[in-house]
Amino acid sequence: MRTRGLLAAAGLALAAYGGWLLAGLDGPDLRNALVWLVGGVLLHDAVLAPLVIVVGLLVARTVPGAWRAPLAVGLLVLGTATLAAVPVLGRFGAPEGNPTVLSRDYAGGWLVVAALTAVGVTAAGLAARRRRSRGARAGG
Amino acid sequence: MRLPDEHSFASWLRSPAVAARVGWWLGICFGVAFLTGLVSHYAQAPSQPVPFPTRPVWGYRVTQGVHVLAGTAAVPLLLVKLWTVYPRLFTRPPRAWAALVRHGLERLSIGVLVAAAVFQLATGLANAAQWYPWTFSFRATHYAVAWLAVGALVVHVAVKLPVIREALAAEVDSRGLDRRGTAAGPGVLSRRGLLRGTALASGVAVLAIAGGMVPWLRRLSVFAVPSSGGRLPVNKTAREAGVTARATGAAYRLTLVHGSREVVLTPADLAALPQRQAELPIACVEGWSANARWGGVRLRDLLDLVEAPAGSAVRVVSLQETGPFRTTTLPGNFADDPLTLLAVALEGRPLPLDHGHPCRLIAPNRPGVLQTKWVTRLEVL
Repeated sequence: MRTRGLLAAAGLALAAYGGWLLAGLDGPDLRNALVWLVGGVLLHDAVLAPLVIVVGLLVARTVPGAWRAPLAVGLLVLGTATLAAVPVLGRFGAPEGNPTVLSRDYAGGWLVVAALTAVGVTAAGLAARRRRSRGARAGG
Repeated sequence: MRLPDEHSFASWLRSPAVAARVGWWLGICFGVAFLTGLVSHYAQAPSQPVPFPTRPVWGYRVTQGVHVLAGTAAVPLLLVKLWTVYPRLFTRPPRAWAALVRHGLERLSIGVLVAAAVFQLATGLANAAQWYPWTFSFRATHYAVAWLAVGALVVHVAVKLPVIREALAAEVDSRGLDRRGTAAGPGVLSRRGLLRGTALASGVAVLAIAGGMVPWLRRLSVFAVPSSGGRLPVNKTAREAGVTARATGAAYRLTLVHGSREVVLTPADLAALPQRQAELPIACVEGWSANARWGGVRLRDLLDLVEAPAGSAVRVVSLQETGPFRTTTLPGNFADDPLTLLAVALEGRPLPLDHGHPCRLIAPNRPGVLQTKWVTRLEVL
């Protein structure tokens, strides 16, 4: 109990310092930061999480048994990598006349990741199907 | 249709047994990002009670690379963690007042934690790709929210400590802590399968950007930001900085000032001084870094021309007319370091305009934004 009390007090102090730093921003900057803070939670809780549930249901209902697990992992890998790569894929920050940053063919790179994921999912799916049919034979 | 409550989610994977394990790794990533972030913030602080060290020369390169990679690894971990605990969002508030207040406070702390965590990863990733779709100062805000995130994380661990302990002590497949309504066995994926899949997703995300920090991964890293293939990248070109005319014009001079003493040098004067070589990285605050061979005049030799005492800090002024890094302060330990140069050459050739021609500062273990380009004035403080 004492550990928890000390931890909670330390956490509150750290967060309070962060809140104090944040409150020190200029009015418009602070409002903009709050929009981003609240927006992130809303975007996750109201858009991304329900979307993942819908995709999960689709996979569970329409994909044959052996393929579900490989596909779920494949979507997890590709989905999170894609999300993390949004800033480069969109090239939103590419400075004009400066080819040394953000000059890569990121869309092409994404296709490579997607293709490798597809290969991985296919290999794992085929292996799972073989295991299942063998298991069914062995089990009679 | 009835609104779902926390017992409506049946997946066998949405269990504290999974959340505690993913949360453990997520906590490590946030902890590493927080500490390396503090290093970077301090390295950029205009006044440092304890001087930032000049060694190892690759120190900032490593801490800032690790900072960005830890944040990237946290993306799949955070998303999976939030997925496993999503049912909790639908918990019905209790009726009794005391319980309701406790419930509200816990909700608030979780809200702050999620908001701060998502904010840090989203702004950090955008910044690493030089994208600033906001009006606030990135550095000040990312720093403030970092304390908020870590504070809320520590409070969360304090609140959940008994559950975390019990979950980590038991097998991952244990049902002891599962919510009412959780399935009795695996559906699409096993719990181990989800944990391995999450680790794989983190690994892929890290590999995809690590080429910005680790040269031999550059070809493999399809989402790496600097991608100039062998050439040293540039964050801000001379044209963007608006210095082309003055940096290439005949009127360019380098002025050294120490009190009433002033020495004015032309590029030819600079070239006539003893030239040194140093192999030093440019380590950008956005995370990318690259080694290069620099040639130029030792900064200390220039300070000697105006008889600056040892340990003097120096204000370095660029030709840039705007921007927060138009002038930077070089602490005394950096100014005296034999590896700190006012570089006029890169890889044995004259310094290109975009890299700071006629001369730029290059010092060991220093954030890239403080390696001032197009230097026109050195003032001993």
